[in-house]
Amino acid sequence: MGKPKVATVWLEGCSGCHMSFLDLDENLLGILEAVDLTFTPITDFKDYEFPELDLGIVEGAVANEEQVEIIHKLREKCKFLMAWGDCAVFGGINMLRNPFQVEELLRRGYVETESVVGGVLPAHEDLPALLPKVLAVNEVVTVDIYVPGCPPSPDSIAYALKEVVAGRTPQLPAGMLHFD
Amino acid sequence: MEQKVEISFKIDGKEVKVPEGATILEAARQHGIHIPTLCHHPDLSPYGGCRLCVVEVDGGPKLAASCVTPVRNGMEVATNNERILEARRTILEFLFAERNHYCMFCAQSGDCELQNLAYEFQMDHLTVPVLGQEFPVDTSHEDIVIDHNRCVLCGRCVRACRELAGNAVLDFQNRGGRTMIGVDLSQNLGESSCVSCGLCIQVCPTGAIFNRHRTHYAVKGKVKDWQMVESFCPECGLLCPSIYYVKANNLIKIDGRLPSDMPDRGQLCRKGRFEPLKTSKPRLTRPLERDGDGGWRELTWEEAFARVIKGLADVREAYGGQALMGLISSGCSSEELGAFRYLMVKGWQAGYLDTLDGGHFRTLIAATEGVGSNFKEAPWGAITEADLVLQIGADTSKSHPIIGALIRRAILENKAKTAVMGTENTLGEWAGEFLEVSQEDLPSLLQALLIEAGRRSKGKPSKDFYRRWASKAFTGLVNLFNQADNPIVIVGQDLTGRPDPSGLQLAFDLADLKGRLPGGVWRLVVLKPAGNSAGAWNLGLAARQGLNGHKPVKGGLLCLAAEDDLEPGLKERLSGLEFLAVLTPYFTDELRAAKILIPKPIWLETGGTYALADGSGSRFVKRILEPPQGIRPVEQILAAIGPRD
Repeated sequence: MGKPKVATVWLEGCSGCHMSFLDLDENLLGILEAVDLTFTPITDFKDYEFPELDLGIVEGAVANEEQVEIIHKLREKCKFLMAWGDCAVFGGINMLRNPFQVEELLRRGYVETESVVGGVLPAHEDLPALLPKVLAVNEVVTVDIYVPGCPPSPDSIAYALKEVVAGRTPQLPAGMLHFD
Repeated sequence: MEQKVEISFKIDGKEVKVPEGATILEAARQHGIHIPTLCHHPDLSPYGGCRLCVVEVDGGPKLAASCVTPVRNGMEVATNNERILEARRTILEFLFAERNHYCMFCAQSGDCELQNLAYEFQMDHLTVPVLGQEFPVDTSHEDIVIDHNRCVLCGRCVRACRELAGNAVLDFQNRGGRTMIGVDLSQNLGESSCVSCGLCIQVCPTGAIFNRHRTHYAVKGKVKDWQMVESFCPECGLLCPSIYYVKANNLIKIDGRLPSDMPDRGQLCRKGRFEPLKTSKPRLTRPLERDGDGGWRELTWEEAFARVIKGLADVREAYGGQALMGLISSGCSSEELGAFRYLMVKGWQAGYLDTLDGGHFRTLIAATEGVGSNFKEAPWGAITEADLVLQIGADTSKSHPIIGALIRRAILENKAKTAVMGTENTLGEWAGEFLEVSQEDLPSLLQALLIEAGRRSKGKPSKDFYRRWASKAFTGLVNLFNQADNPIVIVGQDLTGRPDPSGLQLAFDLADLKGRLPGGVWRLVVLKPAGNSAGAWNLGLAARQGLNGHKPVKGGLLCLAAEDDLEPGLKERLSGLEFLAVLTPYFTDELRAAKILIPKPIWLETGGTYALADGSGSRFVKRILEPPQGIRPVEQILAAIGPRD
């Protein structure tokens, strides 16, 4: 194949995994020469109409209805899907909200906060609804490659990318696999 | 005659021989074959709960848990074929999915056996959805927090609390998916019979049971960067082996040393495991001088030294060396004690030298006068072998919690009986009989007990006895004593703290009614007030006479180990001195009697030799931390305040 086409998205994440990717510093140049990086949230893109991709990368868990749409769109267009970080792989810190009902959460966040007077629950047709439970990406679509970490180290991201470019399924070596 | 039978069997195709009774896991470990485990702990009885150690035996349809399966002649064991590895991976995934095992916000991350297994198995995602059950977090206890969401039901805490601590507070409760670790009969930990030994924290493989102090601690960093120091705890005289973890001069955690062949089985008590992590008392960091308005003024070290020397010299010049006094806490190391004595006696020729617990020493000496230097106390291990333990005038739960643990073990394992005589029943429900008696009345009770228990003749007890002591509890106590073959008597501060030694003597006579242990050892454990009381007394730092009997004292030096309690009588006496300098780690306004306060390190920052309280030797306690900036080592301070002539 020519240079593999790659796109990344972030869903319910903190962007830390993308920052870790950027922490590759000068090694980014080598990666950018090896792949054709199309859309990423770091560069400026306006919609999620992806081209045909060889590799899709997702950071963050699936927590609202918009993110369900986005991840489906990405999954449809990419041959392989790679999940970066504990949020995408396991659900991550976002799972802290799962014991609670969505209405409870919104009330606590918008009405019952200590500094708010006359708060109202946000409701607008443009606002994506929260899912009842935060989901790991592989609970919504099939994921092919997992790079856990919070964030995954730049080395593990580089390793995973290099393996995929070489046509192999990455298996993170000991020392590169960590959940924190 | 016992014959060691050897079993020979094949493991992974290799022919091996092990003693009969060994489990497959033990055999594998002896021959360097790795089998992962989680609920297994080398110092606890095997449980077979987690099933991560499963192996294939003779190609059978069900995999066996190797930690609880004994070896058999001719068996063929496979430990790592594809079927086994698949099973183990699935078990691990189920463990993760069953509860809340999110590493990214768990303080245990980096130091967690469940996480390590995931790394070992290269588990980089879950193929089963997380169950999402919520369990409570029990934060009711002062030192120990239980987050049931992180529990893997390995049962190590249950086994440790029963088998090592001898307390049996924790056990499984509920069933099936709702199983969790219960405390007593469904109490919160803070309201339970937990004695805060912290063994559960030490053996818990995950972050389910954790230390309330310093677990969420900014300086912790990565476990691999911690410094690990093996030493001993000098708080009470038992000198339990301990491991101190330090990062950048901060104490992170303290573990007991497992495995252990000491009678305490490697446990620590809350004094040794938690107290050092809790200190936020303000340290004295600069020398202070009392100013005219009742406040304090800072001095430089050189100024402070000069004023101490002048103060002591002035008293000596006016009244002679007889008027100088040196008082030191028996919590100090033997090296400090020795240097202090040298300074005061050889240096200042002080007329009076004593320890803060000297009163206990004097009472003990008076009580053992008849016995002389042949008085040998029982080693603490004897408590676990006893069939009757008498706790007289002591509060082991406060002063010597490990002794309390040994008593509970004697009850659990030896079916020992116990009786408590004192102001409070500190053994709680563990005590067979409890006789509430004040410190003043204790000798009278012991006298009555001696008469009743030692009665050979058919004489009747006096009317006075019936009036004061006859009760069901007392009769029960007498019966317990008479029936015992191997009693141990533990005496504490209610007896040793009285200037009149007769009460203590009665306890000695009581112990002797049943004869001695081998080697002429008395059936007696005398609890010492401070961590190095035995050391201080052996070094001759305790005076033969109390301070009140030595009237001419007009000035002197007081050396504290920590926030030592000063008796009101002593405080008053000190207030009457013309000059008093105090070496102390903590500032307390209580030390108003002092003219000069000089900061000194605590034992964590000094280390030194401490004597075992049962007289069986001593241990060297290592220096764990550097003192706060500016605080000079004790030797330097003592060297700088010698007389200048």
